[in-house]
Formats: sequence, structure tokens, C-alpha cells
Amino acid sequence: MADASAAVPSINAAPVTSRRPLASRRFALELRQQMPWRRQALILGVSLIIGMGVSAAILVAAGVPANELLNEFVLQTLFDKQSIQAVLFQAAPMILVGIAASIAFRARFWNLGLEGQMIWGAIGATAISFFDVGPAALRLPLMLAMAMALGLLWAMAPTLLKLKLGVNEIISSLMLNYIASNFLLHLVYGAWKDPKDSFPYSPQFRAFERLPEWFGNVSTAAIGLALVVALLAWWFVGISRAGLYLRFVDANPRMADAVGVPVRRMIFSAVLLSGALSGIAGFVVVAGQEGRLTQAFYAGYGFSGILIAFLARNNPLAATVVAVLVAALFVAGRNLQVFYQIPFSMVQLIQAIVVICVASSDFFIRHRIRSVVSKT
Amino acid sequence: MATALQLTGIGKSFDGFQALTDADFDARWGEVHALLGENGAGKSSLMNIAAGLYAPEAGRMWVDDNPVQLGGPRDAARHRIGMVHQHFKLVKPFTVAENILLGHPLATGEGSHRKRLGTLEAQIRAKAGELGFDIDPRQRVAHLSIAEQQRVEILKVLLAGARILILDEPTAVLTDVEAERLLSTVQALARSGAAVVLVTHKMADVKTYADRVTVMRGGRTVKTVDPKQVAVAELVQLTVGDSVAVPQRRRDGVAAGAPRLTVRGLRSAAAGGRPALDGIDLQLKAGEIYGLAGVGGNGQGELAAALMGLDDTIEGDITLQDVGDLKRLSNAQRRSLQFAAIPADRYGLALAGALTVAENFGIGQVHAGRYGSPWRLDTRTLEADAQAAVEHFDVQGVRSLGQKAALLSGGNAQKLVLAREFGRAPRIVLAHSPSRGLDVRAGAQVHARLLAARDAGAAVLLISEDLDEVLALADRVGVMTRGRIVAEFDQPADRQAVGQAMTDHG
Repeated sequence: MADASAAVPSINAAPVTSRRPLASRRFALELRQQMPWRRQALILGVSLIIGMGVSAAILVAAGVPANELLNEFVLQTLFDKQSIQAVLFQAAPMILVGIAASIAFRARFWNLGLEGQMIWGAIGATAISFFDVGPAALRLPLMLAMAMALGLLWAMAPTLLKLKLGVNEIISSLMLNYIASNFLLHLVYGAWKDPKDSFPYSPQFRAFERLPEWFGNVSTAAIGLALVVALLAWWFVGISRAGLYLRFVDANPRMADAVGVPVRRMIFSAVLLSGALSGIAGFVVVAGQEGRLTQAFYAGYGFSGILIAFLARNNPLAATVVAVLVAALFVAGRNLQVFYQIPFSMVQLIQAIVVICVASSDFFIRHRIRSVVSKT
Repeated sequence: MATALQLTGIGKSFDGFQALTDADFDARWGEVHALLGENGAGKSSLMNIAAGLYAPEAGRMWVDDNPVQLGGPRDAARHRIGMVHQHFKLVKPFTVAENILLGHPLATGEGSHRKRLGTLEAQIRAKAGELGFDIDPRQRVAHLSIAEQQRVEILKVLLAGARILILDEPTAVLTDVEAERLLSTVQALARSGAAVVLVTHKMADVKTYADRVTVMRGGRTVKTVDPKQVAVAELVQLTVGDSVAVPQRRRDGVAAGAPRLTVRGLRSAAAGGRPALDGIDLQLKAGEIYGLAGVGGNGQGELAAALMGLDDTIEGDITLQDVGDLKRLSNAQRRSLQFAAIPADRYGLALAGALTVAENFGIGQVHAGRYGSPWRLDTRTLEADAQAAVEHFDVQGVRSLGQKAALLSGGNAQKLVLAREFGRAPRIVLAHSPSRGLDVRAGAQVHARLLAARDAGAAVLLISEDLDEVLALADRVGVMTRGRIVAEFDQPADRQAVGQAMTDHG
């Protein structure tokens, strides 16, 4: 085929530039399809250690003596009875918001309204106390029920807006937080202000309106309630039929619809459940920690809930563990603050670093890095 | 004749699965070289290595007799290798010229963006004229048909300087006429000195247009032959190994049963312009396959969606024998009436790729209470059923039931869908392009299932763009054009007449 080879010289006329490949060019990225869970756990563990290492370096640079770090951070927090109590105290509402976020995210619904739903939960519980509803023995269950109901109702607004009108839930649920928090201020500065000292919080709950402290002086009932909720949530997503439906809604809603999964109903119920759980978190804070409705009890829980759900990959049991760890980080940070005058923002910085490290580990779980050089 | 592209001893594995073993391939300047094989034979993997998308684990590669190592598609482009993928890689909201600018030397050239785009548009017009493509460089890609998008892809790689052109299953999405036009164009390109690699599993394309053909099977290159010298039967034998049982042709002379599903005046509520469905009248009878032929994009997808209950806005009646109005029923209720659906968009509508094989199987019957109460999912029964179905429907490549469905090859994914949908004897079957993208063997198995369902008394609607498929299976043939059924034929239908009806009203 002479005519064919005659056309070829155009290749030789423009010789291929043989640039020396840069170091980065000697590796190629490939999408990985599946990885055994042990390797995933290993990668996750390594990234966690890297995050801790970076955090430790920052703390040392900020003036914490290196040899004290382990002592303060790990031993003091995990082996001191008071610290453990403080961690559990902190963990109960975090477990609840973490699970609340996980369940909404499983239905592909970005519930950023956790704080607003928490506020309404707390308002509901306080209203039962404030208006003296029901006998003393039933007071706590009534407060719990009211907290769940109001949290659920507050979550219903963005859900209906999304399902009926297609309003983006990220905006609507977030904005509803502001309405809730301003209404809270309206209550504690107005009608519900404590008449004793006129501070902006509600009157102190009576003893039977507070979550009982069974062991020591920490509200064990709160952590117990959180653990029961965690188990129920695990049953819901892992064992019940609805859990299977939710997995399909999460993985492929159109396909789920086609095979007969009640997609809209699943989204609706998952988000309402998420709202009710946030309501319980609000109840736990007012009845277990503060003993009254205060003006900023909710601050930071929305962010923590999303964070916990993300780190736990929306698994309720993992969320429980992560929530305890986040709470431990909190308490450790508070100790550091007291003993070394480390600002609290440093604790948040450490949190952020750990999260970024864990989030990046996802990249290595999804991709494979391969050398371009081939063997013969 | 000089060798354009040579690959020797190529090996590649994905997560322990050996996709390629010691594969050899070479393409010469001036030839159309077909790469033939079943789904999962390793054709695309091998060509993705040649195009720099995958790094091989073993083997060597030469371009124009020089050894090369590719670090990515950009390296491949520098060696003048361009690949048109089966799934087009175009940015839909952008114009043709903007798409081609990506990866074109002009993208980083001198002058303003607008000026460079103008230069490129002139180049596109010139090249398109040369190849006989009718393409407006300013048109947005989203507005182009599949065939036109493919032309844009070809222009893209050619204008980026490619002289070794790899086309991955280019005719899979085209009608007969479009495929003929495309293949003559690439043949002309080869005659003018380029090297063309044609990845395909269509024997007819190979016989007519290829100068040489390399057959792959199970990740290995089996043989390279001249297609003019060997019989089709021999090529089939090389591709599939042992022989394939072709399903029985439709049985003639057996009367179909009572009308089971009646569609009257089905119309999509269009907000303007021509509605996708423009008054469909259709009757499916028990024990028959109604084949709906037509060029893609004439409302087939919308009809399937309407029957599957995915479109609430549809107007008209869908009446099910003994039940009544189908539109009132939820999708779960439809399924409980043994309504089986095999949608065309396998990973969009039939499977959730991120979930496991067992879950994808079990979701079909979980509503009916087959797998435990709402309180507790009976995973043991589900997995036992899934295991049995996977074996019965010959779904291969399932290493464990906990494996993600996305890891199955096209044919096996389709068999998993069949296993779920045909788990209980279906009364109505909706199959939309059920063998698209499947190899001969998997396609034959799908067809056998449809025929078996028909023989068991189901009413089957087969919507397909593949006329051969429709004519081989259907008891009655309808032709769909512009959202209407424009003609109906009893079998044996005249192929010419059906083809005429498909194009007449288009």
C-alpha cells in the first residue's frame, strides 16, 4: 500500500517531543472498584494518626510541653473518673444529633436544621415544665414526647417544601434555624424569663423534671437514653425493611421508585424521624445538663451532628462511637484551656484537622495510584 | 507496511480480576483493524491501555516502531493516538467548537480566546466538509443527536492530531444507515493513511469494513485473520469458543390469548412543542410478544416510563385485564400484579450499582413480604433466594452476594435484572432494548427468557431499536415514529416494509 505510507510522513515531519516526564507524570490514578474492609480500616486508622500527629505538633508549637501531651490528652481524659463523667455528659446530645443527621442523610436529605429542631425540642420540654402539665411521675415522659413532637414538626416544614415545591432543603432548613433561635430569645427574654433573678433563662426545673443521675453526679439517664436511641436507629437502618428501602433511596432514587420503593414516603419519614431525634437532643440538654431553657444551649450542635454523621458514614453505631470521641476531644480541650491557657478555638482547629485527614482518606480508598513504568 | 501501533504481552488486572493476559495487538497504517470479542473479553481494556487511560502491569507498546510509555491520555495524544469512547465524553451545555477546543493545541495558543475559537471553527468546518459530516461548530452538544455527537467526538480526536483512531463500539448506538455512513467514512480515513481500530462485537461490520480482525476471548488475543478469508461461522466460533444455542424462532400458528393490557390515547403533557408521546394505541395479548421497532428517540423511553409508572403527568388510559386502570396503582402494587420491567437504562432504572447483588435481587419481592416482616428483614431467605437465582439465571462474575452490582459486566448485570424480574412468573413483561450492549451469548440468553415468558402465557412488549431482534422474536410488529405507532405488521413481516415505515414518518 504505497499510497498509504506516502501519507504517513506527516508523523515523522512533526517528531514527537520526548519530554522527560515529571515525577508526577510517572504515576497514574485509577478508580478503584472495591477494597476489603480491613484495608479501608487501615487507611482510616493511618489518616487518623496523621491528623493526631499534626494536631500534636500544633499544640507543642502553642506551648504545651510535649511530654505532657499524652498525659493531658489521653490519660487524663480517658482514665480520670471526673473526665469520663464529663465526656459522657457531653456525649449524650452529640450521639443524638449525630444519629439524627445520619438518618436524614441516608434519605439524601441535607438536614441542616438540626439546631432549630433541637431548640423546638427544648422549648417543648420546657413548656411542659413551665405550665405544670400532668402528674409528677409522668412529667419526664411527657417532656420527652413533647420534645419529639415539636422537633418533628419543625423538620416537617423543609420536608414538605422540598417534596411539594422542590425547595432546596439546604437553604430552607438552615434558615429555619434562625427563626427558631430568635423565637427562643423571645421566650427567655420575655414570657418565660426566670422571675427570681430576671436573667434570660427559664425558671429552674424541679427535681422530678430533671433526668436522674443514677451513678455519680452525671446524668446517666441521658447517656442511657442516647444509647437506647442508637440501638433503635441501628435496628431501623440495619434490620428493618425500611432500612433496605432507605439504602435504595440513597443509592438510586429513580430506580428505587421503579421497583416499587415508596421513595417519597421514605424521605418524609426519615426526615421527620431526624427532627424528632434532634428534639430529644434538645430535651437531653435542658433536662439533663442545664436544668432550664437557656439562650444558647444549642450552639455548635448542628455542625457537630453533620460532622459525626460524615465521619461515621451515616452508621448509627459508628456515630455513637464518633460522638463519644468528639466529646472526649471537647473535654480534653477544656482541660488544656484551663492548664495551659490554650484558646478554645485551638480545640476547634484540632477537630477540623482530624476531619480533613479522615475525609482525605476517602481518596485513597476510592483510587489506586499506579506507577506508569511497566514490567516486561 | 509500517506498523502504527503495536502492543505485546499486555497484562492488566482490576482488584484481583485478570482482565488482560498476554494480549498482543498491532495495527498498520492505512488499515481498518477490527477488534472482535464478547462483552468482558478485554477489548475495551486493551484499547484503554493504548489510549493511555490505564497503565498496563506487563507488556510493551510501540507507536510507529518507537517504544513508548503512556502516563495518561495526554501522552497518547502526543503520540497521535485518539480514542472515541463508547460513552461520549462531551460537555453537553457547551458548543461543538468549545468541546473540540478541550485537548486541542489551540486551547493554549496565542491570541484571545474568541479569536482562537474562530480559527478552530474554521478548522472544524473544513474537516467536517472533508469527512462529509454536517456539523455546525456553534451548535450546543445537548441539541445534537447521538450520531452527531459521535461525529463531534471523531472530529475532536482528529483535530487534536490523531492518526491512530480507536473507535469503541461506534455502531452500537446508530441505526443501520448511520452505521454504514460512519464506517465508510472511517474506511476512507484509513485509506488516506491513518490507522483505525474498530472495537466491535458485530460480525457484519467486521466482514464489510475491516481489513484485518483480531479476536479476543477471556482477556487474551486469540487470533488475527483477514475477515474476507474466513466465514462468519468461524469468526463466531473464535469469539465465543464453543457454539451458542440460538433461541427458537417465534412459533407460528398458535393464537394469542385475550388482550391483557390496553393502552388508549397515551399522550405526554408537553409544555410546548411536539409531545414525546402523541396518542399511543396499543394492545398486548397474553402469550404473545409485541415488538415495537423504531429509530431511537421517537418516544420509546417515554412509553416505557409511562408503563413502568415513572411518569405521573401522562394522559390517556392504560387498562389491565381484570384490574382496570393501571395509572391508579402504585409501583409496588404493579409489581404485585406480576408486572416485570427490563428498562433500557440498566444502571439508571434497573439496578443500584452501589448496593449489593443480594439487595438488588431482593428489592423486587420484599414488598410482598417474601423476606420477612417490616420489622425484620429476613436476610437468610433473601440470600438463599439470591444465590439460587444467580445460579439459575447464570449470572457470572458474582464473587459474593455482598459484591456491588456495579462490578458486574453488562451482560451479567442484565441477567441479574432478569433474575429479579422473572423470579415469579410474570404476567406482563416490558423489555426495552433488553440485549443492547450484550454479546451474542448473553443476548441469546435474554431472548430465550423472553420467549419462555411468552410461552408461559405472559404478554410481552419488546421495545427495540434493533430490527433484527424485533423480527426474530415478535409475534406482531409495531413501528413507532414521532410518539405514535404508525404501522403494525403481522409476522412474518416484510423487513423492507418495516424499515420503510421506520423512516417514512421520521
